[in-house]
Amino acid sequence: MPVKPEFDVVIVGSGPSGISAAFPLVESGLSVLLVDGGRQATLSPPSHAFLESRRQDADQWKWMIGEGFHALQNRDAVSPKLRVPVHGYVFEGFATVNRIEPQSFVAVGSLAAGGLSNAWGCGVARLSKAEMSAYPFSAADIEGSYRAVAQRMGVSGGQADELSEYFGLDEYSQPPIRMDALHTDLYDRYKKHRLALGKNGFRLGRSRVAVLSRDLNGRKACDLLENCLWGCHRRAMYSAFDELPALQRHGNFHYESGFVVEGIARNENGWLVEGQRGSQERRSVSARKVMLAAGTLATTRLALQTLKLHQPIPLLSCPTAAFLLWLPRLTGFQRTGAFGLGQLSYAVDIKDGISAFGSTFATTGIMVSEFVRHLPMSRRYGIDLLGVLLSSCLVGNVFLPGHLTLAKAALAANGSLTVSGSYSDQVPCLMVEVGKKLRKAYFRMGAVLMPMSFTVGMPGGDIHYAGTLPMRIAPELGETDTFGELHGAEGMYVVDAACLPELSEKSHTLTIMANADRIAHYVANTMKSHT
Amino acid sequence: MRIVITGSTGYIGSHLTDLALQRGFDVVAASRQKPESSAVLWLSYDLSSADAVVLPDDTVAVLHLAANLPHDISISDEQEQFSANKLIKSAQAVGARFIFISSQTANPDAPTAYGRIKWRIEQDVLAAGGWVVRPGQVYGGRERGLFGTLVDTVRRLPVLPAFLPSPNVQPIHVDDLAQCLLSIAVGADTRPRVWCLAASEPVSFTRFLRAIASDRVRRFRLPFPIPVMAIQAMASILGPQWMARIGMARLSSLFDLPVMETASDLQRMGLTLRPLRSGMHRSGNGRRRQLAEEGLSLLTYVLRERPKASVIRHYVRIIEQLRDGVPLGLPTWIIGLPVMLVLLDDRAYAESARGAEFAWRLEAATVLAEATPQGARRFLDRKPGALRALVGMSYPVFAEIFWRALRIPCKPFLWRYMHESWGCQ
Ligand SMILES: Cc1cc2nc3c(=O)[nH]c(=O)nc-3n(C[C@H](O)[C@H](O)[C@H](O)COP(=O)(O)OP(=O)(O)OC[C@H]3O[C@@H](n4cnc5c(N)ncnc54)[C@H](O)[C@@H]3O)c2cc1C
Repeated sequence: MPVKPEFDVVIVGSGPSGISAAFPLVESGLSVLLVDGGRQATLSPPSHAFLESRRQDADQWKWMIGEGFHALQNRDAVSPKLRVPVHGYVFEGFATVNRIEPQSFVAVGSLAAGGLSNAWGCGVARLSKAEMSAYPFSAADIEGSYRAVAQRMGVSGGQADELSEYFGLDEYSQPPIRMDALHTDLYDRYKKHRLALGKNGFRLGRSRVAVLSRDLNGRKACDLLENCLWGCHRRAMYSAFDELPALQRHGNFHYESGFVVEGIARNENGWLVEGQRGSQERRSVSARKVMLAAGTLATTRLALQTLKLHQPIPLLSCPTAAFLLWLPRLTGFQRTGAFGLGQLSYAVDIKDGISAFGSTFATTGIMVSEFVRHLPMSRRYGIDLLGVLLSSCLVGNVFLPGHLTLAKAALAANGSLTVSGSYSDQVPCLMVEVGKKLRKAYFRMGAVLMPMSFTVGMPGGDIHYAGTLPMRIAPELGETDTFGELHGAEGMYVVDAACLPELSEKSHTLTIMANADRIAHYVANTMKSHT
Repeated sequence: MRIVITGSTGYIGSHLTDLALQRGFDVVAASRQKPESSAVLWLSYDLSSADAVVLPDDTVAVLHLAANLPHDISISDEQEQFSANKLIKSAQAVGARFIFISSQTANPDAPTAYGRIKWRIEQDVLAAGGWVVRPGQVYGGRERGLFGTLVDTVRRLPVLPAFLPSPNVQPIHVDDLAQCLLSIAVGADTRPRVWCLAASEPVSFTRFLRAIASDRVRRFRLPFPIPVMAIQAMASILGPQWMARIGMARLSSLFDLPVMETASDLQRMGLTLRPLRSGMHRSGNGRRRQLAEEGLSLLTYVLRERPKASVIRHYVRIIEQLRDGVPLGLPTWIIGLPVMLVLLDDRAYAESARGAEFAWRLEAATVLAEATPQGARRFLDRKPGALRALVGMSYPVFAEIFWRALRIPCKPFLWRYMHESWGCQ
């Protein structure tokens, strides 16, 4: 007689997707084991206002550069976030432990409890009906899940504006966090030219972000100390890590942090999840079902390994760019504390139904060195110039839809996952077009997109990886069904971005979470009805 | 273990004695005068004496450094050779190794008698199964011997003699040499051979003098070109006696020094010689101080004012922990006038390996400078006001244009300088 599995479901990964899958399962009474890579913060985020600490804290280098000079060791990483010492643990060790081998491609992931959401940009959005046309279910099927996760995590920025429909989140949203003077000025100008800009396919509105403007579940509302990049001591920015206590209140929820999953094998009545606990101990647990939520890259490797599938499979990732925007009217403006994440977002139609999305940010919380290094000037005079100029500047980013990166992931013979890719041929042209459109639009609003500042990012630098094991109505090998169940591996579900069949230019994490919630509800229901 | 050192009061001998004592050797000083230190045993030894030398039974090695320097005409070359042979026999009598410290100039046809006699003794030593060590240009430590003379000259002269074309020298720090000598004295390698010990890459004599000026004497000295032809003409007019009398004889021997192949011997010895500028420092290791100077210069360039000492310390730690810990070898005039760094702070320069390292360090200095209250004032907190801002923004643009124009003629020289100074700090 087969032995009874130890758990109903094992979830691999405690990031946004793993946590979102856990809630419905746990609430339905199933016994759930959640495991993750176990890395946790060792440094605490700054607790004083950014400008105040900068002016007074003689030890500021400790949190800005790090005692082991973390910021300099990661000098070439794609985002300033990856240089912040406090966040070091979030990214540490991921590629080695999960055996990810990027080839001219940026591959970032996490072994942390809470995953990448400990250091993310908090941009959230809902997919429109049109954007879900490639999804094997209807928008209505995920509606409730969007609501559930958005309310749990706390979203702000809701107001009636040109992007209300685009984001589709206002009904669950807290009011926006106060804008700084630069964004306020820009937005006032936008309102005057709204119609003309709209005709050119440009829309502007408040960014919708998973950051609190009102206290929620023990987390505190943003107090504008501007430490968003460096870590928020009020936990106003959503991190999946902060949801663990709510899950741990349930007796049927089990959590093993630091259980690195290396392989998953079928056994007589379910799955055997095997891996390493700490540096020595081998560990394996059995479960009726397994949910993969280790982040697209790690999940893909585990799934392909289970399927023994070595064929290269496509990977979606959004091409990105960044630019500097100058508001000449505010030249010589004295910096004040402000919200450090996206304050205003735009959506712009480019051509052939392709559109771009992006947000603008205050520059104060970002080191001036981050800008100086890109300036074609010598350091000394570059600092002279930017020291004055940046107080009237914003930085912006650009995301294009994920199918425009032609990337592939493949399970190598040695068991590692190689990830390689480049932008499609269309991207250079599209980027030029976006640059032009943005320059025009912002100029109308009295802002100058600085010449030569528009920089296209490295493939993979978006850190929005998706679509390796896409959900299909009729899945084939290497694909998943409507509920993320891996074809050829019954009872193994893919609940992170790996199962998204399409990746729009919008922030995708809220969709990952809603989808995980949707799948978990389904699995909970079927398992309940079987027993 | 007991070793006997002749010439132990000389330049190399005194450093060797110190190191040997430090390493726990029993040192017997064989010299004319009784040494002041009571830590060593004394054995009377005189190049001109005909008496036999009796060595202690437990002697493991004899290091023969004594030489007829400064030249005493009452001691003939034959006598020097005879004395060496006598010592070889004494060493053989107690079964000790014999190690003779010769010279890079040793050669049967050397232009100086000094070089020729060294060569003759070398032959005797090798025939008797001993070792020969040919050091390059010994420097560092106490200001004695030829090194002492050179330091003294640089200290006194208002300018730096720059011979054209410049002869090359292969320096070795006196303590590095002493360490090699001890390794040979007790090493496992028992075959008689000639060890050539010096930097494998020759440096120009002018650079060597410049290192004395900047790192030992610590004064700026303007190079003053002296054509070698003029010296040779002087030599043929005055004749060898006169040249010797004004101290030019040893100098002129520099001009036709053969290049020694030393890399393989250094490797066999397992020794990395300290960089020249580092060894030139009084402490014998100026690397840290140079890194601090480099950091001070880069940070001042970025900050436009002197950084706090703690920031300089961080800079040094960064270069030691994340890079190779070797100073860039910036010229002294740049160290003294940090604004001049703008000449190297150039994208085109950053494409070379040397330039990329410079750019990395400048980036590190920028980040370090910014993460201080001082940096916050400069990077973040400018005084408000649109007019002030406009002026503040145009000035750097003009300055940038000015320096770019200036960079064009300076580029070839400066890049070459930086390239050459690589590794010989
Ligand atoms: C700087 C930055 C900014 C971002 N900004 C945004 C944004 O504005 N908007 C947006 O939508 N998205 C953003 N993202 C992306 C977002 O963070 C991710 O989409 C999201 O975190 C994915 O969640 P996940 O749960 O699928 O995976 P992850 O967050 O990567 O979590 C993976 C989990 O799996 C665990 N794990 C990994 N490997 C193993 C293993 N072998 N065994 C056991 N456990 C394992 C980890 O410990 C972790 O708990 C950003 C990302 C970064 C880095």
